[in-house]
Amino acid sequence: MITVNGVETQWNDGLTVAQLLAREKFTFKMIAVWIDDSVVDKEYYATKTIPDGANVQVIHNISGG
Amino acid sequence: MKIMQINAEKCVQCGACMSACSSAWFKEDSVDLSRVKVETVTGLPHFNICSQCGACMAVCPTQALERDANGVVQIRKDKCVACLMCVGFCPSASIFFNAEKQTEPFKCIACGICAKKCPTGALTLVEVKG
Amino acid sequence: MEMKPMKLLTEWTYEPTKIHRGYSKETLYIGLGNKDGKYSFEKRPVSEDMIEKFTGGRGFGLRLLWNAVKDGTKWNDPENEIVIAGGPFCGITQYPGAGKCYTVFLSPATKQTYNSNAGGYFAPFLKFSGFDALELQGKADRPVVVFIDGDNFKVQIFESTLEDINAYYVSEELHEYFSNNGADKHTISVVSSGIAARTTYCAGLNFSFYDTRRKAARLKQAGRGGGGTVLFDKNVIALVVKRTHFTGNENDVADLDTIQKIGVSLHKRIHDNDDKQCKMRSVGTAHLTEIMNDYELLPVDNYKFGHHKDIDNISSHAYQKLFTQGMADGCWYGCSLACAKAVDHFPLQTGPWKGKEVVVDGPEYETAASLGSTLGIFDPLWTVEANFYADHYGLDTITIGTGGAFVCECYELGLINKEDTHGLELNFGNKKDIMELIHRVASGADDFAIACGKGIAEAREYFAEHYGADLATMKKIGMEGQGLEVSEYRCQESIAQWGGYFLTLKGPQHDEAWLIFMDMVNKQLPTYKDKAEALFFFPCLRLWFSLQGLCKLPWNDIEPADNGLKYKGIEAAKVPEHFKNYIDIYTAITGRPLTPDGLILQSEKVYNFERIFNLRMGRGTSAYHEIPDRALGPVWEDEWNSRPEYFDEKLKEFGVDISGLSVKEKIAALQQNRRKQWEDLKMAVYKRRGWNKNGIPTMETVKRLGIDYPDVVELLKKHLKPEDEFEA
Repeated sequence: MITVNGVETQWNDGLTVAQLLAREKFTFKMIAVWIDDSVVDKEYYATKTIPDGANVQVIHNISGG
Repeated sequence: MKIMQINAEKCVQCGACMSACSSAWFKEDSVDLSRVKVETVTGLPHFNICSQCGACMAVCPTQALERDANGVVQIRKDKCVACLMCVGFCPSASIFFNAEKQTEPFKCIACGICAKKCPTGALTLVEVKG
Repeated sequence: MEMKPMKLLTEWTYEPTKIHRGYSKETLYIGLGNKDGKYSFEKRPVSEDMIEKFTGGRGFGLRLLWNAVKDGTKWNDPENEIVIAGGPFCGITQYPGAGKCYTVFLSPATKQTYNSNAGGYFAPFLKFSGFDALELQGKADRPVVVFIDGDNFKVQIFESTLEDINAYYVSEELHEYFSNNGADKHTISVVSSGIAARTTYCAGLNFSFYDTRRKAARLKQAGRGGGGTVLFDKNVIALVVKRTHFTGNENDVADLDTIQKIGVSLHKRIHDNDDKQCKMRSVGTAHLTEIMNDYELLPVDNYKFGHHKDIDNISSHAYQKLFTQGMADGCWYGCSLACAKAVDHFPLQTGPWKGKEVVVDGPEYETAASLGSTLGIFDPLWTVEANFYADHYGLDTITIGTGGAFVCECYELGLINKEDTHGLELNFGNKKDIMELIHRVASGADDFAIACGKGIAEAREYFAEHYGADLATMKKIGMEGQGLEVSEYRCQESIAQWGGYFLTLKGPQHDEAWLIFMDMVNKQLPTYKDKAEALFFFPCLRLWFSLQGLCKLPWNDIEPADNGLKYKGIEAAKVPEHFKNYIDIYTAITGRPLTPDGLILQSEKVYNFERIFNLRMGRGTSAYHEIPDRALGPVWEDEWNSRPEYFDEKLKEFGVDISGLSVKEKIAALQQNRRKQWEDLKMAVYKRRGWNKNGIPTMETVKRLGIDYPDVVELLKKHLKPEDEFEA
């Protein structure tokens, strides 16, 4: 299990950031992904794997519609 | 159309082109006010001179950027409202501004003054197919 | 056919004052008389106190309107005004989004003050003509066109000879009429409404700019609150301003160098990042449709559902294909974000201009959703057509979409029938009949259409009285607050956004705070205190734009590429580097220092003054901060059953034992628990804003803000009750 924005959610071995974003339907473009308090650069979303038990934050950086 | 052709291997980085340009157009010898820029990057000359590609013309809200009879992209000051969008959208960052001198931006207009002062022929004014 | 020459009724010549550091320090007053043909004109000075407390734009509008009206003034009394003002940033050309103005008036829809913003060239040209604001008061005795001639420093009032009062006609004709042989149409801006202003309470104002590439008048809308209805009530068909010559430093700023450097850095950022971020330059705000769909935020069928299988029909890709690409689509010079998209050569299929090819402004996201998914319609060509006619008629697209969706649901529930609608079958998705309803509402064709045009709050009273429709049911599903229809985001699952919509000054409009991602997705606002802080800070930050003449989009619809990496938590949502740009440019324009706290303080003064103004107009208390059930959660079983596991889980979080409960019972339980949360939120927000439990600013608050004018203090003394005070 991992937590995503504070909510416990499924984990599988080899789960990448890109796969997580697709699964959670996080399609908004202006996001920042943090894994255990370290930020992941956009170019590594496809390759960066998330370890079991990680605290993932997917911060959507908009505050105005 | 007329453009400034760069022959980088001939450049000795003397700065005569920039002095000539700024003196001619702003009556002041200043790198900041030159419309051609030659910087030294790791010992080699790096040129920044407008290629007259015209990308700026599409973004200008007042259509103040026009191609003249020689194919050179000119800023018509009477139409320009100094928004500087052309500066931000120039693919080679070759449009400049200096609020102390004038509110409108300025750019190379392929006048050839720099080439005349270039001692080595690193800059030449040439006619190319537009 | 060329319009007939207009008869000059009166004219007034003035000595213009040069703008210095963002202000001319003079406003223009135009009195139209009281249907007696007695016109009056005046230049009014702007005091240092007015600048200090009200800054400009919407602040000036509220101050001037406060002075103009009496306690009991109604929207259609002659004392009511339309005040249009930009602000100190208004008219600068170096930073994107600096051509906006706010229009302030007493609203027919909300019966209190309203302020609505628009782009276009009107506000900058008004300012360059010498005025920080324009006040229009009284009622003309015949249809008139008001012309501010900023070239010759004259104000002229003409008897209108316009054969049609609809916006595209009026704008095109007047750009031609006041131009010099058609060559300088871009030096003119027209404010108009349309035939919807005759009977509806939701007619907006169309602000024009002339698109020299398309050779057409483009329209930007101050759509909300019924400003067009007020303009028509004054018998004014159009306001026109002309200003031919201006420079890139017409504001005579204190430090042009700084503004140019900051402006170029943002132009460059937009050039580099926009395609990867919000695609404003290619799609405009319509890029949001599929994103909102993915997050269950797109209003579908009167906000019942948050997504739809046909989303691809109205996605950004669909609109990108319709919009002409590669145009300089800024609505004021220097806006490189260029979101003012247009569909060219659009052949109209219905209505009075059927068969004509037109340029359609938009649709923006709000319209793509309001005249689209909310009505159960997923056909962009239908939306483009509806968008055109709404603008042309002066109908506010958000109001007519959200209001229309309410009417459709009433029809589907059998609360109203085909006889009541005079033959229209108003099921969700019935494109033909809904389009016909739009035409009928605009023209005030029959009693039903007229009732619909008055907005949800009044329409439901009419439906109850004349068709026997159940008022309690209609109150549950009508997406309105304070007499204003909700804009196009579903807020059910974000407690903070309940406040962002329904704890607002003027009603559920998203220009105060959009906290859904921060709250619902990022989970950055876990406590009521956190939510209240966000509902203090963001409304103040966003109100600040309205004081300056600024558009909100260049603040956070483009970001530094590393914004999310450099800044953590809520700090990132403030886009700190752009926040700093505004502070630095404010000082560079005005020469006045400003700190981040000082920026929020400028807004807080006006925020509280506006709240007190609404109190003065008989509103502005807790009783008017209401929220409909539909905004809190599902109302009917089909809504619950669209996400049953999700809602079950939400109910369990309240500690409710759901075993054996019917869906109906579950809905009732969720509503009850959420309504309790709403009350808790309200109190937390009031407290943070320095208000009492009745939602009224305390004496301490107005003193701290320096807005303790004698009439304000007297008003508050009447309303502040000891029993409403928060415990210390």
